[in-house]
Amino acid sequence: MTMDTSLKSSFQTVHDPSLEPTGEVAVSIELFRSAMHAIAERETSRPLAADWLTPARDRRRRAQGRMILAWTCAAALCFAVVPHFNHPPAAPQSKVTNPQPETAHSNLSDTALLEQVDNEIAEPVPSSLAPLTELDSWNSTTSATESSLTQTEKKNVTQ
Amino acid sequence: MGHMASTELPSLAPEQLAQEQSVLQLADFDEVVRLYRPRIFRFLMSSLGDRDVAESLTQDCFLKAYNARHQFRGESSLSTWLTRIALNLVRDHLRSRRIRFWQKTRDTALDLVDISDWIPDGGISPEATCLQQERVKELWRAVDQLSRQQRTVFLLRFVEEMELAEIAETTGMNTSTVKSHLYRALRVVRERVGKE
Repeated sequence: MTMDTSLKSSFQTVHDPSLEPTGEVAVSIELFRSAMHAIAERETSRPLAADWLTPARDRRRRAQGRMILAWTCAAALCFAVVPHFNHPPAAPQSKVTNPQPETAHSNLSDTALLEQVDNEIAEPVPSSLAPLTELDSWNSTTSATESSLTQTEKKNVTQ
Repeated sequence: MGHMASTELPSLAPEQLAQEQSVLQLADFDEVVRLYRPRIFRFLMSSLGDRDVAESLTQDCFLKAYNARHQFRGESSLSTWLTRIALNLVRDHLRSRRIRFWQKTRDTALDLVDISDWIPDGGISPEATCLQQERVKELWRAVDQLSRQQRTVFLLRFVEEMELAEIAETTGMNTSTVKSHLYRALRVVRERVGKE
């Protein structure tokens, strides 16, 4: 077959026989090659227009535009998102700054509360509870004498 | 195209242009396009199976080559350089097609019948013609089943008739890797196409 011999001659530089098509495969490949060459010749035989590369330029420009847009969007997204990661949220900051007046306020209220308690305690004892007051004063005097007694006992023991 | 080629050198003869491996080849870009457009288009069409996409990528390929013509140092042949650009475009296109999976991109895909209809008529009988068409269809289906790298190596070897070293240079693979891909591709094709 003439086709087979021409194929062999064109592929003769490949010495490895496993890389050389033979028989029907070689014929099929040769037919495929001829068909491809014929189609390509037909498609490219028409004379080229002056603006043959204009569509390619337009595609290139559009692709560049898309690329710039994508990078711009990515950069904008980064600028929008990154501050949230770098700094803690704003809410805790306000919590930190506010406590001072609150403490002052609580100090004031504590003082007022103490004064109120003092006032209440300083109120005169009702007449019905007067004997208890006497008892309380008696308790205090007895405790004082008890303490003096224990001190003299201690002195005696040491002597 | 004439406005693109701002050249200080006279136009080279096509034979010289095809043989010479130097930066001067790019001086007359119109001639470069005229000489290499069929080859680039053929490679892109056989890789993608789509005539319109192949035409668009051929334009892209020559536009890229024109914009980067000052970077061409003549270390490889002009044909290899252009094929490498085309190969990168194929890779990018396939990647973007995977991303844009919802787009129907194979509307203009070259039909199997189209390819088999373009077998040169050798004055053979209609039966033999039918048989040849069937063989081409089978092979086309087999090539379509190959992995991207296997298909690339197969097409560069058997459609573009490039040497293994040239394929290695174009694809950026080792020669042994090229051989491996070619071996596997041939094995698949043998299994699909038929008995030897």
